Amino acid sequence: MTPFQFISLLDLKARMSLKSEASKLYLSYLWWVIEPLLWALSFYFVFEILLSFGRDLFFILSGKVVFLWFSKAVTSGSDSIANSRGLINQTNMPKAFFPYHKLQVVLYKQWLVFLVLFCLAAFWGHFPDWQWFWLLPLFVVQYFLIALCTLIAALAVSYVGDMRILINMAMMSLMFMSGIFWDISQIEDPARRDMLLTFNPLAYLIDAYRAIIIRNELYDLGHLAVLGVVCLAGIVFMHWVYHVKSQDIAARVINA
Amino acid sequence: MNSEILLSARSMEFSYRSRIWGFRRFEYKVLKGLTFDIRRGETLGIMGRNGCGKSSLLRILNGVVAPTGGELVTSERISRILLTLGMGFDQSLSGRDNAMLSAMLQGYDRQAAREALESIKEFSELGDFFERPVKTYSSGMRSRLGFATAMKTDVDLLLIDETLSVGDQHFKRKAEKAMMEKVSSNQTVVFVSHSGKQVEKVCSRALWLEDGLIMAEGDTREVSREYRRFMDKLDESGGDVAWAQSK
Repeated sequence: MTPFQFISLLDLKARMSLKSEASKLYLSYLWWVIEPLLWALSFYFVFEILLSFGRDLFFILSGKVVFLWFSKAVTSGSDSIANSRGLINQTNMPKAFFPYHKLQVVLYKQWLVFLVLFCLAAFWGHFPDWQWFWLLPLFVVQYFLIALCTLIAALAVSYVGDMRILINMAMMSLMFMSGIFWDISQIEDPARRDMLLTFNPLAYLIDAYRAIIIRNELYDLGHLAVLGVVCLAGIVFMHWVYHVKSQDIAARVINA
Repeated sequence: MNSEILLSARSMEFSYRSRIWGFRRFEYKVLKGLTFDIRRGETLGIMGRNGCGKSSLLRILNGVVAPTGGELVTSERISRILLTLGMGFDQSLSGRDNAMLSAMLQGYDRQAAREALESIKEFSELGDFFERPVKTYSSGMRSRLGFATAMKTDVDLLLIDETLSVGDQHFKRKAEKAMMEKVSSNQTVVFVSHSGKQVEKVCSRALWLEDGLIMAEGDTREVSREYRRFMDKLDESGGDVAWAQSK
């Protein structure tokens, strides 16, 4: 399979999966818009009405949307190889196809979720301007990060099914560690703050999105560049592992 | 018989480890040293009863898994495909969408896959149902779609796993005819079946596999006769499982 065939098949398969998924639901594609709106509503109920949180609701929502992209892709991608036993049994296709497929499915829904987020941003008085083009590098690096984590997770689960439970737990703790409900700047000790931003790229990314949309500032470009390069190098390494281990993965999955 | 060798197995072994419970695993040796060649353009039949290692052998020949002992030598990078009925069809998608995905999974680019769709539709004789979700199909219709999609491939090595019995009498004949055309062309085919008769009908050379070993190899009729004699003896003795002798 050439890289071009790989990408072309990936794109088609992802769009077909979305079609298939939507055909099973009464409200089909509408769910792509309804879901983020429901999140907003539930946050409004909890944080404004119940807790009088005092925090800007959009602040939480923006963090949650960025985080959901990550968690949905990694969680659904982690099962992807283990669940593709039928196809793996029949063809010797690159195993990286399966996690990438899930990644694309989530990605194709995500652009609409971001669109909803931007509408809500305008609703809360954060209007788009030229500065928002700086969001594009964030999307790209976040995609790299998600791809790397999904490739690792899918490989781990295909070898040891128990990893699935750990991944779900990790997602939960990441949600609390990434500054969705609180501001990174609340951490007073700068050393600790830097440590969090370095070792939890999600915390950095969420803060960077907020810098552009809410605070009208530019995020730390150097940090993003390093993160991007590290993720890319990791992806290249994982592709090598997938390539070398292709038949081994198949044997593991078939005789699981 | 001296044509170019496409694949050659040298003392090929295969064993797998499966988990039973917790950390407990059991290891099972399926193939115990097979040596044979597949020549370009021939149709090789592999017969054997359930559990003799046919499926594992197919998986290795297809390149899905690697042999755990011995080796499988290929002269070059060869394209190969296991002909099966429906490569993981998505029940909610139409026959057309599924055929498109299957064709691309078999190595077509998007343009070629799209072009193949009409002939797949025609061959499958599904008519309007080709545009409807596969979940609305009868099982016969599903196998028609699967067979029609699979027959459109053009690869170096075609592996077939007992799929000749497809659909009703009419479609079965049509499927057999299409198969025979493939077989009599320059296509290299490995045909695997537990029925010696089917192998006899299609293949020029045959192997008989029993308990992970080659019991006979050569002229299809002779191999098939020996295989049937063995099966008849099993009937008389009341049978014994293919894997009982394994240690």
